[in-house]
Amino acid sequence: MATGTEHLARMGEQVVSADAGDVLACVGLGSCIGLALIDRRATVAGLAHIMLPAAPASGTPNGKHADHAVPALLEAVLELGAARHRIDAVLVGGASMFSFGTDGGQQVGARNAEAVHAELAKLRLHPRAEATGGTRGRTMRVRVADGRVVYKEAGGTEVELFSTPVGLRVAA
Amino acid sequence: MTTYSDLQLDALRELANIGSGQAAASLSSLLGKPTDISVPTAAALPLADAVAVAGQPDEERHGILVPIIGDMQAAVVLLVPDEDAQTLCSVYGLDPHSDDGRSMLQEVGNILGTSYINVLAQMTGMALEPAPPQVVHDMLGAILASVLMGRGEDLEVALVLDSDLTVEGEECSMSFLLLPESGGVEDLLARLGL
Repeated sequence: MATGTEHLARMGEQVVSADAGDVLACVGLGSCIGLALIDRRATVAGLAHIMLPAAPASGTPNGKHADHAVPALLEAVLELGAARHRIDAVLVGGASMFSFGTDGGQQVGARNAEAVHAELAKLRLHPRAEATGGTRGRTMRVRVADGRVVYKEAGGTEVELFSTPVGLRVAA
Repeated sequence: MTTYSDLQLDALRELANIGSGQAAASLSSLLGKPTDISVPTAAALPLADAVAVAGQPDEERHGILVPIIGDMQAAVVLLVPDEDAQTLCSVYGLDPHSDDGRSMLQEVGNILGTSYINVLAQMTGMALEPAPPQVVHDMLGAILASVLMGRGEDLEVALVLDSDLTVEGEECSMSFLLLPESGGVEDLLARLGL
């Protein structure tokens, strides 16, 4: 997956592309979630680097928060020509690398994954694959050409998380 | 978005300077070798840029997290490249990827973090204590993002105080970061009369 231009979604950012030569990436995801929305038929993909479940009551949700980032990413891929019913969602990240004693509640990584799932469900988008949880950070890459998603943990090798030739897909 | 004046950043840099100076002295006595510190960087940065202070997000580091509890919520994070962790651990004949090696890194975090935190407490009159250190070996971006987001605080800007410690003759260096939560910075500045 080395060819093409790599577009990085940094913390709180999203990138989208309809250029088959492009690769979208979230590098060094810890408790954050990398969410890919992919329409392989239209050769469109988007990737958001989500940091928190939701904005606090007094704040405005933005790209950092799942409740804003998920609908915003959907809108952006639709604008590039993706068709809603063909969109595949893939999640990576949400690790708990440290335990924070004062936190008391559930870890941010797990809450992030849960929030992204909830937002996807609201939009009737279905996760097709995911690598979330655990204690290791991950880097994920999405190839726009065919929607192939891979991830890698620190010191590990690249794992293919999502890849199905368009022609072989069966209606669910 | 919270921003800090140059005067405030200078004061925080000076705090980091004294704190990391004390940490360097502790490291020096731990290893029995002279230790240098760089002039610390104090920067208030958008989160996406905060990681870049310490390097590329996919560079691997041994990360030693020393949470600070008490009057200010913050964390001290030591970031050590693998070859430097090897050098540190080799002083005691250990491999940083072994249990004993990790324990040694934890102890380094404990000693350095505690001396830094004590200085911070003395200078500000705050009651501050280190919590037990946690050690990971992972990607820089994942380590820092997880620490910054660890308690679920909604930050716009991360204040990063970064110093480099270098052990003379061993070409061993580590990055020493203080990451206060946003309310903590206000308290810190108020204590300094700013």
